Amino acid sequence: MKQSPQLSKAEDAMKPGVITKEGFLGSDHRHLVDVLIEDDAEVARLGLTHEIIAEKMKLFKEEGLKGEGLTIDVGENFEVNVESVRGKLACPFGEPGLISKNNVGVINKKTKKKIYFTDFHIHMIEKHGFYQGIGSPYRVSPKELMETLEIESIYQK
Amino acid sequence: MDFQWIELVQSVAVVCGIATVLAIFMVIADATIGNYGKKKLIINNDKEFEVEAGHSVLTTLKEQGIFIPSACGGRGSCGLCKLQVDEGGGDYLPTELPWITEEEQKENIRLCCQLKMKNDLKVTIPEELFNIREYEVKVDKVIDLTHDIKGITFAFQGDDEMDFKAGQFVQLEVPEYDLCEETIYRAYSIASAPSDNKRFDLQIKYVSNGICTTYVHKHMEEGETITMNGPYGDFYLSDTDSELIFMAVGSGMAPIISILLDMAEKGIDRKATFLFGVRTMKDLFIVDELKELEKKLPNFKFVPTISRPDETKQWDGETGRLTEILPKYLKNPEKTEAYLCAGENVINSYKAKLMELGIPEDKIYFDSFG
Repeated sequence: MKQSPQLSKAEDAMKPGVITKEGFLGSDHRHLVDVLIEDDAEVARLGLTHEIIAEKMKLFKEEGLKGEGLTIDVGENFEVNVESVRGKLACPFGEPGLISKNNVGVINKKTKKKIYFTDFHIHMIEKHGFYQGIGSPYRVSPKELMETLEIESIYQK
Repeated sequence: MDFQWIELVQSVAVVCGIATVLAIFMVIADATIGNYGKKKLIINNDKEFEVEAGHSVLTTLKEQGIFIPSACGGRGSCGLCKLQVDEGGGDYLPTELPWITEEEQKENIRLCCQLKMKNDLKVTIPEELFNIREYEVKVDKVIDLTHDIKGITFAFQGDDEMDFKAGQFVQLEVPEYDLCEETIYRAYSIASAPSDNKRFDLQIKYVSNGICTTYVHKHMEEGETITMNGPYGDFYLSDTDSELIFMAVGSGMAPIISILLDMAEKGIDRKATFLFGVRTMKDLFIVDELKELEKKLPNFKFVPTISRPDETKQWDGETGRLTEILPKYLKNPEKTEAYLCAGENVINSYKAKLMELGIPEDKIYFDSFG
């Protein structure tokens, strides 16, 4: 698929030094449209939607906030910590306003898998289906999210 | 065959020629288009500097030895570096507007990391910011306070010294290393008493992928020299007789321990309670020092609180969240001031509970690191 001018603009904003020092695409040299298409296909293959993934991430964030800055047990399988990080980020897709950077850390005690994400990740996944480029230190892949947060595939329901 | 070779060489020569012309054009453009020449920077209608224009106002001021608080190092993501620009600022930039309220726009408040110095500029800078300086300090001591918090003592060199108020913060410059291709600044509260102006302590918690915290935890060594600037901030003890309640979790203790040490040295024995939260016993630190302060300040009580007690270890102290135990320790809300240090969400949670219990909002002071 050809990349639209809007996506080219977003891709430019994702380069290192524009919104953040590291940018959002890592060592991924593909066009943004190709990054989005591949993750979209992966999400569908897993039997999920971006909305389902984002909802589960929000749920862990909301539970973690109850710890008031300390790690908290969520259910039997999870430990969650939410820490505020100073600063806010603009959306590279050009949405107005700024997104805060609460850092959510989830440990799946059963599998020992850990994952870290922020409000920014939740926004990017929910609104734009964007999980960051391969090689980006802050990429969280759909599979990683599914496995660590134990998100149920629609095939399992 | 010969003809094909000649065509190929000609094509390569044409491509090289175009590339050379473009490169020369870019060098000339770089030297001229972005060159705004020298401009005047007038501060408080008093000090006047002739500066090389084209850089951000934040950088230009730093080059003149004037440091404006900024936690993100000028990336426009912390919104701290606000400044009143009286003349020459031009229109607001889209990157400034999300940070500037309508009220601030009426007062010509600008985000000085985003605003470029293109014209002569008149700015107003609060006097206290002129005390902020950049220093080269030696990393004197690094200790593990817990499994994820380090305590670092920095020492000023030569005749350098820094006067600060208990509760203020400094900015550390993180040097270039594998997570950081160019230097950046990060802000941390001072965790020592202001009486020693030749040294200061910080308490830094490791944050996964955090540029500064990774440097501090995995690379910083005793004896190395670090660039920092400060002091900043207005989170310090009021000059009243009100009772005090301090609340913090983890490394949020830093400015509060500084205030308490200062109170002990100055003999300020106001009735004070410090509710300090951690998750487990292994997350507790400097408990002995704080218990020692109870002896120096007879009206001070330290309340370490564990949110997840380990059934195999004895713990006689408080358990639960700080907002849960708060009612037990807040006896005279109308006569109490609260001092909080935590992330933005936690501050909001503490504030809501304090106000519910009767502390007026204007008596709640906080150092939010979110």
